Amino acid sequence: MRQERKADFLASLAQRRRTLAKGWYKYSRNPLSVLGLVVLVLIGLAAALAPHITPYPAQAGAYTDFQNAGKPPSFEHFFGTDRIGRDVFTRVVFGYRFSLLLGIVVLGLGVAPGVVLGLIAGYHRGTWVEAVIMRTTDVFLAVPPLVLALAITAMLTPNLLNEMFAIALLWWPWYCRLVFAVSSSLRSQFFVREAELSGASEAHILFREMLPNCLAPILTKMTLDMGIVILLGASLSFIGLGAQPPTPCLGTMVADGAKRLPGEWWGTIFPALAIVIVILAFNLVGDGLRDVFAVEEV
Amino acid sequence: MPESILSVEHLKKHFPTKQGLVRAIDDITFSVAPGDTLGLVGESGSGKTTTAQCVVGMYPPTSGEIRFKEEQIGTAFKRRPKYVKGDLRIVFQDPGSSLNPKRTIKQILSIPLKVHHIGTQHDRLARMKELLNMVELPADEYLYKYPQAIGGGEKQMVALARALATNPSFVLLDEPTSALDVSVQGKIINLLIRLQRELNLTYLFITHDLSLMRNVSSRVAIMYLGKLCEIAPTVEFFERPIHPYTKMLLSSIPVVSDAEEALKPRKAISKGEIPSPVNIPPGCSFHSRCLARNGRCAEDDPAMVEVAEGHFVRCHAALESELSGHGPA
Amino acid sequence: MALLEAKDLHVGYRTFEGYLHVLNGVKIEVDEGERVGLVGETGCGKTTTVKTILRVLPMPPAQVQGGEILYRGEDVLRMSTHAVRDLRRREITAIFQDPLQALNPMFTVGTQLRDILKDSKAGRDGGRLTKRDIEKRCIVALQETGMPDPERIMTNYPSQLSGGMRQRVCIAEALSREARLLLADEPTTNLDVTIQDQILRKLDELVDEKGTSVLMITHSMGVVRDLTQRLYVMYAGSMVETARTKELLACPRHPYTQGLMKSVPRLTGEGISEGIPGRIPNYLEPPSGCRFHPRCEHVMPVCKEAIPPFYAVDEDHFAACYLYRS
Repeated sequence: MRQERKADFLASLAQRRRTLAKGWYKYSRNPLSVLGLVVLVLIGLAAALAPHITPYPAQAGAYTDFQNAGKPPSFEHFFGTDRIGRDVFTRVVFGYRFSLLLGIVVLGLGVAPGVVLGLIAGYHRGTWVEAVIMRTTDVFLAVPPLVLALAITAMLTPNLLNEMFAIALLWWPWYCRLVFAVSSSLRSQFFVREAELSGASEAHILFREMLPNCLAPILTKMTLDMGIVILLGASLSFIGLGAQPPTPCLGTMVADGAKRLPGEWWGTIFPALAIVIVILAFNLVGDGLRDVFAVEEV
Repeated sequence: MPESILSVEHLKKHFPTKQGLVRAIDDITFSVAPGDTLGLVGESGSGKTTTAQCVVGMYPPTSGEIRFKEEQIGTAFKRRPKYVKGDLRIVFQDPGSSLNPKRTIKQILSIPLKVHHIGTQHDRLARMKELLNMVELPADEYLYKYPQAIGGGEKQMVALARALATNPSFVLLDEPTSALDVSVQGKIINLLIRLQRELNLTYLFITHDLSLMRNVSSRVAIMYLGKLCEIAPTVEFFERPIHPYTKMLLSSIPVVSDAEEALKPRKAISKGEIPSPVNIPPGCSFHSRCLARNGRCAEDDPAMVEVAEGHFVRCHAALESELSGHGPA
Repeated sequence: MALLEAKDLHVGYRTFEGYLHVLNGVKIEVDEGERVGLVGETGCGKTTTVKTILRVLPMPPAQVQGGEILYRGEDVLRMSTHAVRDLRRREITAIFQDPLQALNPMFTVGTQLRDILKDSKAGRDGGRLTKRDIEKRCIVALQETGMPDPERIMTNYPSQLSGGMRQRVCIAEALSREARLLLADEPTTNLDVTIQDQILRKLDELVDEKGTSVLMITHSMGVVRDLTQRLYVMYAGSMVETARTKELLACPRHPYTQGLMKSVPRLTGEGISEGIPGRIPNYLEPPSGCRFHPRCEHVMPVCKEAIPPFYAVDEDHFAACYLYRS
């Protein structure tokens, strides 16, 4: 009996491994997506190991060294130094830490409720449950996101935590609507009907039958959204409503440096470039994922 | 009437739509005896699938009764006793959409076992293997596959295994082979016939394929625009079709041999389109396409009449000529 | 010379699992004015064949590995894109299983029909048609397919028509440009039998009148029986048998065709056979020699070695099977 269970476990594992291998094959057909993934992994590693790989980790936060202020890029300071003498490269790498953290936390907070509400609304399409959920979603979607974020962060104290909270609050309606679209068409699929007819619970139908079929668009949208969230975070920081100095945040850095353009261009250009690169990488990965999940023709 | 396992009486199912009221099923009555196969045949829009869906509980009927083993089941699905959900199962037409593409066959088969609390965790593994063997699939190979990895016929076998997981006594087959190739269809049909014998199953077999019905069912019922036209034991049905619509259907079937060609009614050449179900013609709903119609047909709807033992027909013209001894044109 | 001739066509697909050798030496001949059927089960390569002939197969992943498709002696596979487009516009036309995909939902039936005629250069001396001519021919084309009230249909959108009506529109479109060859890929599979019967009878009448050659692809033996004169049976990427349609259906010789015919449900009610043991081979590593040999009850050593050529088994009846070698 035990042996049989072991065989059962191993066979399930082998099947899973095969699925992953096939996904990677499809993903790797597009060299740009692979490039995006490599860049993301590098950025992720750099951000995670920031205190160990940057030349001047101490300069990331509150630090002043007026002797070295405003130095152009050189061998000692790859990206130069800012107006109070901090190493821009070090701060950009630390800035990635906060950007990625922001993206992950925001999507973590925003996606889960959006997905659950979307599933429920889709499954109950045509009833009052759907009406309540979807109309609430519409209200949230009707307000321009930046304005809402501005309002919320301005109301609370502007800091990283509130910034995350504000953006997360903007994000769930999009997922709710996306999942609603998918799940309301899944609802009429026969496997959902069959589960209902055999008497399965609603939780089983929502999370075991319908959710796995919604994952593809959710994951694709999440990767594409990471870029947008990071950009939005940077925008909020840029206008001073996000993380406050001396937190090393890419948006704040761009804003700070902008005051000294065009002379000390490196204080702005490098953080801005950093934002562009991470967003581009996320978009490339998103495209690759879309290929993985695309339905095969042949 | 022999004792029946399923009986449907004056069943009606109407759907209100923007274009008007769709009378998907309009007063049908039939019953199925235990161990029998009733073939319910009709074209698209005839209401045959809606009938299946009402019986299995996907929609509550508008009016009428559905009785399953002395249990009234023509009510809301939630009020249907749980044992009925396991005893009365359905196999859908499209095996592609009836198996969740994101779950392995093992996960798919485990749902009915879990829901109906059949066996302990590792009894279930054994039971799932037994089910796959029952439908002639090698269990160890198929248990861990995803539905995309197997062929259409095999998917349908898995769907059948899932239906049988709860030991049902009645299985509704909603066009189980119409998405499959003939050679695969042959296999599934033979499997169905064997399982019926071994497990003492009763089938309600829904299809549009009359040639298939000739070989599978013990009784055949023809449906047109939500109403039954003719019910008869299979052999009698094909030897002596009476309703003009039945004749039109028979004459339209593409056949592969001269022997079959000879069985088709010659004069009943098909014409016209099936009217929209929101706009059903008055009187007999078939009269607009009927070759044998007379003055009464457009005015009053004929009633079902037994013309021979177990052979029911609902047609004015057929009955009149039946009485006078000639078949209708 | 045959109107259309496919010779030893080999087509494959590159995928994650590896290379799929799908078409394995397909040969078809359609003579001027002839009606030919091509039957085979799902996955036997019917659709790949049609798409290759029309040059609409996405490449990659597909690859033509060898063979030629001659249309009036000219190789379609080596034509320029422009020449192929011209061929599809004037010579070869197709109707498909799903008319909803073939018709643009955003335009009325009339607009779509007119566009085709405007482009077809079917006027006198190969010139364009006048507006009046186009209008007249649209109506005639619709009328010919048995459509009641063509003037009204012209102003309808495809979604306002029933499935049978849509397929009639597709047939009208296909036949209005006076093409020489009609490729019909499962044209009635989605229709009800009574409608199918009407459409097939109409199609029969029309191609008869216009002398169009037809290559009809289907999985249904019954459908080809009335409409075609000659029949090819395809299995796993190659032709296994060809003969005059009625003879082939009455007296199949290849073991695959025999198995197939036995599993067709008959109105005479003899019961249905189990079908053919086994399943269609995996195109990754297709069986050597005759691709049917692992499922064949008459298998001989030679079957595993080389692809059998067509052997004459009767007058005008060929089977690709070593049983008929002598």
